Amino acid sequence: MSSNHKRLSMGGRIDREQPVEFTFDGRSLIGYRGDTLASALLANGVTLVGRSFKYHRPRGIFSAGPEEPNALVTLATAGKREPNLPATTLELADGIVAESQNRWPSLAFDVQSVSGLFAPFLSAGFYYKTFMGPTRRAWMFYEHFIRKAAGLGRAGSDPDPDRYDISQAFADVAIVGGGPAGLSAARAAAAAGARVALIEQDFLLGGQLLAEPSDSAAAAWLRQAEAELESSETVTLMKRTTAFGIYDGNVIGLVEQRDPTNPQLAGEARQTFTMLRARSIVFATGAIERPMVFSNNDRPGVMLASAARTYLNRFAVLPGKKIIVATTNDSAWRAVFDLADAGADVTVADLRAAPPAALAAEAARLGVVVRAGTHIVDLRGGHAVRRATLNGPDGQSEASCDLVCVSGGWSPTVHLTSHLGVKPQYHDDIGGFVPGAFPADRFGAGSMMGNYSTAGAIEDGHRAGTEAASFCGKSAPAPTPSKLDLGETATALLFEIPSVGRGKAFVDFQMDVTTGDVELAHREGYESVEHLKRYTTLGMGTDQGKTSNFAALASMATLRNATIPETGATTFRPPYTAVALGALAGRAIGHHFKPIRRTPMDGWHMANGAEMLEVGLWMRPYFYRQSGLDVNEAYVAEMRSVRQAAGLMDISTLGKIDVQGPDAAIFLDRIYANGFAKLPVGRARYGVMLRDDGIVFDDGTTTRLAENRFFMTTSTAKAADVLSRLEFLLDTAWPDLRVAVTSVSDEWAAMSVAGPKSRAILSAAFPALDVSDAALAHMGLLESEWQGRALRILRLSYSGERAYEIYVGATAGEQLWTHLLEAGRPFDLKPYGVEALGALRVEKGHVAGPEIDGRTTLDDLGLGRMAGKRTGFVGDVLRRRPAFQAPDRQRLVGLECIEEGKRLRGGAILFLPDEKPYGHGHGRVTSVTFSPERGHYVGLALLAGDVASEGSEVVAVYPMKAETVRARIVSPVFLDSQGERLHG
Amino acid sequence: MASPDFSLSVADCPLIQVDGWDGALGQFESSLSASLGTKLPASVGETVRQKGLLVIRVAPRRLWLALDDGIEAPSLAVDPDLGCSVSLDEGRVRFRMAGADVAWVVSKCITVDWRAPAAAPGRAVLTSLHHVPVLFLRTGDTACELIVPRSFSQSLSDWISGLDC
Repeated sequence: MSSNHKRLSMGGRIDREQPVEFTFDGRSLIGYRGDTLASALLANGVTLVGRSFKYHRPRGIFSAGPEEPNALVTLATAGKREPNLPATTLELADGIVAESQNRWPSLAFDVQSVSGLFAPFLSAGFYYKTFMGPTRRAWMFYEHFIRKAAGLGRAGSDPDPDRYDISQAFADVAIVGGGPAGLSAARAAAAAGARVALIEQDFLLGGQLLAEPSDSAAAAWLRQAEAELESSETVTLMKRTTAFGIYDGNVIGLVEQRDPTNPQLAGEARQTFTMLRARSIVFATGAIERPMVFSNNDRPGVMLASAARTYLNRFAVLPGKKIIVATTNDSAWRAVFDLADAGADVTVADLRAAPPAALAAEAARLGVVVRAGTHIVDLRGGHAVRRATLNGPDGQSEASCDLVCVSGGWSPTVHLTSHLGVKPQYHDDIGGFVPGAFPADRFGAGSMMGNYSTAGAIEDGHRAGTEAASFCGKSAPAPTPSKLDLGETATALLFEIPSVGRGKAFVDFQMDVTTGDVELAHREGYESVEHLKRYTTLGMGTDQGKTSNFAALASMATLRNATIPETGATTFRPPYTAVALGALAGRAIGHHFKPIRRTPMDGWHMANGAEMLEVGLWMRPYFYRQSGLDVNEAYVAEMRSVRQAAGLMDISTLGKIDVQGPDAAIFLDRIYANGFAKLPVGRARYGVMLRDDGIVFDDGTTTRLAENRFFMTTSTAKAADVLSRLEFLLDTAWPDLRVAVTSVSDEWAAMSVAGPKSRAILSAAFPALDVSDAALAHMGLLESEWQGRALRILRLSYSGERAYEIYVGATAGEQLWTHLLEAGRPFDLKPYGVEALGALRVEKGHVAGPEIDGRTTLDDLGLGRMAGKRTGFVGDVLRRRPAFQAPDRQRLVGLECIEEGKRLRGGAILFLPDEKPYGHGHGRVTSVTFSPERGHYVGLALLAGDVASEGSEVVAVYPMKAETVRARIVSPVFLDSQGERLHG
Repeated sequence: MASPDFSLSVADCPLIQVDGWDGALGQFESSLSASLGTKLPASVGETVRQKGLLVIRVAPRRLWLALDDGIEAPSLAVDPDLGCSVSLDEGRVRFRMAGADVAWVVSKCITVDWRAPAAAPGRAVLTSLHHVPVLFLRTGDTACELIVPRSFSQSLSDWISGLDC
């Protein structure tokens, strides 16, 4: 156990009564409730926490928030590994097992740090320039080794054991950021009567106020604000919640972390992805302090000045005793005074020639050494900073140190506001980018708008909260905000990159991008910020360049001799911080991955030996185990049963659409390629729909129930698409038609009795009905009732046999199914599954999904005569395009295998017998089956019309199994070409 | 929330859907209103209850007539020049959900703001649950119903029931 020797005995927002045990790289350490992993590591004197991405340089803790580029760790517990987590945002909880990353065999001794010796060769664009030769395929060789060497962290390969959840939330006013501006906005909006959601990524509210001493006026203000908001019924406080993206309609993507310190929540979702819909949004996202650029500015012990102050005042950790604070502005001086007050020996190197006199006077009072016009040139130290080289008016000098605090000014956090296209605009007065003009329902407040004083942020937040509530129609008078003046002086800003030493000067710590890389990119012509980013990988790490973008931009502006706005700004995209894929999936995993549809007879299938198959969203019987040991044996047996006696098939999955209205026939005439207006009542017709571009969309049968009413069936796969298409056409193309379309797919249980004995079975099942050929001819309809429910019997065939489709109310489906099986028992009626169904239709030459694949036309499928010379239907014009008439169009043919003991396979590529089987061939096999009727494999194929004709041979090549088989081109109708079985 | 306080029961949901034609909507609604003996909901999402029959306007020209358990369907004779009707007696299932935590359960299932006027008791919202179209019916302060397609009902009730594990 370590000693927390850098922990102060008093102060901070930690609970010293609640120690927390954790390990880092196998070392047991103690922190306290209220710590982050970073603060606990610092308290224990751990300064080296990771290795850098490219050069494997030692790195320490740089910030105190989500902008952290260096201190990324992997949490590894219970077989789970989660890499690349900023230690600065990890709330310390008992049992955390953290590991440093990107090192082997240990953090202190990392073999790959030798790559630093080759640094001159590892400049930007190194891969592109080096690994392109000597042959075109050389990259494939190099990639294996590069991938092993590159990357940050290592994910686990076991399934994620954690639970995740998804939630929907709503608010009048969403406020992103719980600092002084956000708190003030929330109070104002709530007082105005709005329903408020206050989103804060930290586990404490307060933002930068948490960096103030815990016994200060700021702390008192914070306590009061928090208590007021917690007691408000209209305010939802969402702590531990990160807004990672803003989307259309003011939808905010949130990820909420479960409180890791509360053992009662252990079984709850680790993270919840919430979609918050707000009528208006206030952005109070604060600002991020900028680093400074000098040689070896990445050494462990270099830290943002504001972070040092946070560790001191929030976590009661004094991260150094001999401290150099390098700054360009006033804000870092607050850290100077607090660190000195806590007993540190502090030197200020202010780049400005004359820092404000009041600051200098206070420094003198505290014994702080002030060196004006001075900057750091270089640092020394391996695993911890030891000495700094300073350059000032009196020349260069050396100073020892164990902590270097830096402040290159502040960058407003404009990431979220940019997600919906609000372009950041550069403001000279603050030397930074703030959001451009907001739309009417979005507002900004506080330092993200460049208003860096606490008093100003509170006023700004109050205004924004009031306006956001007013936008929602909530305008009750809000009291004047309680004031808090921390006496910050103006942040006079000067950003420049002064001379640097000979070591590497980093602009992007996480991606190891240096000033040298930026200069190289400039020399090679990559002057645009977007090109610079891609060439150097700047800002592409998990931190998304939160601390690096501005330094790189300023560097490029200097090189181009242009202004910063002329140089441009990068584009921010979601997510603001890394989001676990598990959180986005939520509960939609395993059997909840997608919703499942079950037919009314599903229970019977499950109880009676059906092997079920997922078809789209439906569960369908694949085959019945009593028919055979496996699918190949079973489907052939089921086919034989249908051909020789009768089979019963659950076809409830067919799309079913009720089409009604005085103009229903006209409507069908327009959506089908073949006509329906003259279809007599009580008759059905097979129809094919085209897309606008003339390609076949779907097929099915439609039955005329009455003069103005039709019953349409679609393929199972296209049911939703067809209904959507019909509604679209009625709403947009033909709003004048008086037609209503309604999905009745769930209304009806449907089953097909097919086979030579099917009529006898129907007679037995429905003795009161006349199902003779005279009463119920092929393509005829019989409507009746069964057990008090509507019954429809359609005489249609998909298998080529005499067959009947029987529809009954869904709640009676299973009952009728068993009734039919019972009635059919004397006739050897057996249930059959989708494999047999597909095989039967292939034998009959009916096209289905594999042929209607979004590329084929009516003519390709041999259905051109259905349309004949008709016009005026969807797809009519473009189906006559010359390209669709080309002789090399692939057309439907039948294939039969002519090699003993071999088989055809779906997807096989077709070549001519004397051709070398290379490339895409002349066509492909779309559907195959073993044909009990023919005694060998048969199939349907799409084959170029100009290469072979019926009777010719082709070779079907199936590269996946290295199979080649000869086949003969035949008619696609393998069975009963005269249609006698339909009537037999 | 380890074990939310809510109950879920599943029942059949007989419905009749009626549509009016554009251009004849006023006449259609007058006729339908007279047939049912009640005024019709004026805007989408509004409902009107009349003797075991809940009339829901689900679209500008479309109404659903939901029948309470054991209630006979009204005999409707819709003039084909004014509109049409279709029975949806068999294809929908009603999920009845109630309990102190029902709002929390709803927030995990559908994009409906429990506290919004549009979801107040007596209101209906067409929305989706796990990608499936459903009709949300607010039936009380701590109660609501979801009318879901029958083929999805087992999958969706599993989804909701799984919220307490």
